[in-house]
Amino acid sequence: MTAATDTAPIAATMSPRQYRTIKALDIGGLIATIVTVLGGICWAFPLYWGVITTLKPEEDVVKPGFQPWPEHFTLDAYTHVIFGTRIGQWYVNSLVTAISVTIIVVIISALAGYSISQLKFPGRRLLWWMILASFMIPVPALIVNHFVLMSQFHLINTWLGVILPQLVYGPVTVIIYKQFFDSVPKEFREAAKIDGANEFQLFFRLYLPMNWGITTALAIITFIGAWNQFLWPFLVATEEPMFNVTVGITQVTDAFGVKYARDLGSAMLAGLPVAIVYLIFQRRVTQAIMLTAGIKG
Amino acid sequence: MGNVQLSHVSKRYGNVQVITDLSLEVEDGSFTALLGPSGCGKSTLLRMIAGLEEITAGQCFIDGAEVTDTAPAKRGVAMVFQSYALYPHLTVRQNIAFSLSIAGAKKELQNARVAEVSRMLQLDQLLDRRPAQLSGGQRQRVAIGRALVRDPQVFLFDEPLSNLDAMLRVQMRLELAKLHQDVRTTMIYVTHDQVEAMTLADKIVVLDKGRISQQGTPLELYNRPANKFVAAFIGSPAMNFLKAHVAGKQGNDVSLTLPGDRTATIASRGGNLSESEIEIGVRPEHLRLGQPGNGAAFDGEVRIVEQLGNSTLVYVDTPAGQLIVEGEGNLQVEPDEKVGVVLDAQHAHLFGSDAQVI
Repeated sequence: MTAATDTAPIAATMSPRQYRTIKALDIGGLIATIVTVLGGICWAFPLYWGVITTLKPEEDVVKPGFQPWPEHFTLDAYTHVIFGTRIGQWYVNSLVTAISVTIIVVIISALAGYSISQLKFPGRRLLWWMILASFMIPVPALIVNHFVLMSQFHLINTWLGVILPQLVYGPVTVIIYKQFFDSVPKEFREAAKIDGANEFQLFFRLYLPMNWGITTALAIITFIGAWNQFLWPFLVATEEPMFNVTVGITQVTDAFGVKYARDLGSAMLAGLPVAIVYLIFQRRVTQAIMLTAGIKG
Repeated sequence: MGNVQLSHVSKRYGNVQVITDLSLEVEDGSFTALLGPSGCGKSTLLRMIAGLEEITAGQCFIDGAEVTDTAPAKRGVAMVFQSYALYPHLTVRQNIAFSLSIAGAKKELQNARVAEVSRMLQLDQLLDRRPAQLSGGQRQRVAIGRALVRDPQVFLFDEPLSNLDAMLRVQMRLELAKLHQDVRTTMIYVTHDQVEAMTLADKIVVLDKGRISQQGTPLELYNRPANKFVAAFIGSPAMNFLKAHVAGKQGNDVSLTLPGDRTATIASRGGNLSESEIEIGVRPEHLRLGQPGNGAAFDGEVRIVEQLGNSTLVYVDTPAGQLIVEGEGNLQVEPDEKVGVVLDAQHAHLFGSDAQVI
């Protein structure tokens, strides 16, 4: 009653439309939106600047002053990277290794998660603790061992050499699978057992399809991780034809110094597949990130 | 043939004894209900028959063959779970055909069996839906269809109606009874709901703390309970129990002094009567309201009246404690009214201090 009486004189000075607008205004929401938009701009600006730079002639790039929009548009940077480097080969290398890592990691993790979650065998608990403990070991600490191993197996400068050590990078996928398989009500398993299903049928016809969303999410995030790998591919591939695209773009240099447009152009091309994958599977990627964050937290 | 025999079976989880030296014979084609309160071991017993739980000691036979260590799929049983356990990623058709598909049956055979079962359970129109798109009753029917398609020797039901609302439960109860009449396959049905057990089963096995308390037809259990546990568990509202003092005995007739110092003579079943204090059990429908005074077993005061339409439940405070009296639907009685409670001695039961009927 008091509030209505207090606001009445203010309302009297406004048109009904103005009053409705003011009344409907959510001040907290407005501030949150402004902050979010500003944050978004801050985040997106370097990306915008990178793209714009690749479309400028090199002399415009180094010209002093702030030039948010190119005076002259050119695709020189891209044509140089595409036709003047081995980026096609690097793409193939990245695709082969990232897809292989994704497929193998997902299959192994799903099987490991299933066996730890659903099967009873001696050493199951020990195996589980070992997988959990492997979280504690930073991957760079293993790099030298991996290199020595791959060298002894004569796998330096091979796809297999790039792929194999990456298979142990993600115990998180095993843990996520185990958790999801744990959450499947045991009645499904029992009903299928009575129906005559063996362990493989249980896995392939029940547990895997029932957790298909998780498999998709984990596959996407594993692919993105494998595509973005730099340190290991950089060490294990010493010859230019074996480079992954992430390593290859570091070779786009010029005898006359740094060429920003070309460097950024190659970076854009390197990041393009990941961006496309993200745009297509946005929801799944978010789900996967939340899953892994949940595990790590 | 689908008779089931359990011989001296026990089940233990660590130090917890769930089933103790239990022997049971389920006849071929019968509908047997395992009835008991939560934690009495009835679901464990069913799961032991299904092969989902190991039998700690004893043997299990189905159709004369020992299956104690046989895998669930090779026992010739089908089970309907409380939660239905329908595979959420498969359609109704795929759910029903799952066991055939696992066994590698040809598509034509799968389709023919699915058509047959779905016709029987009126699922024809729902075959391409997923479980999430079905109502509780429909899911229940699919679960039964999945069991039916295997053509088992024994059906096992683990509280299959407990997730349904009251009306649907009655409807599904009728459908189950009809199904049993149609297929005449042995059915073992676990429930804590005595109404389900009484209406569906031709034999009820009452379990208490992992042991068989009594087994028999529904009316045997209702009219001649072997002990206080069965007497209290079967029947709704529950049987009234009151203490009485033994004044004398002539043949099977026991003269009793009731609380409030009135007397009654109740026939025992010939059991050993060695105590002076015993317990009388009488069902609410075997008590009736009358005038206070010597014609009644107790004088009392009406506390609560529940009009149910077809009957009236009257809670009467008496010297023997609060007794429930079940009267006719149109019984006219008011709270605080002074009444007499008349006991039908022919239908009363006597229990000794060991809770066994005398």
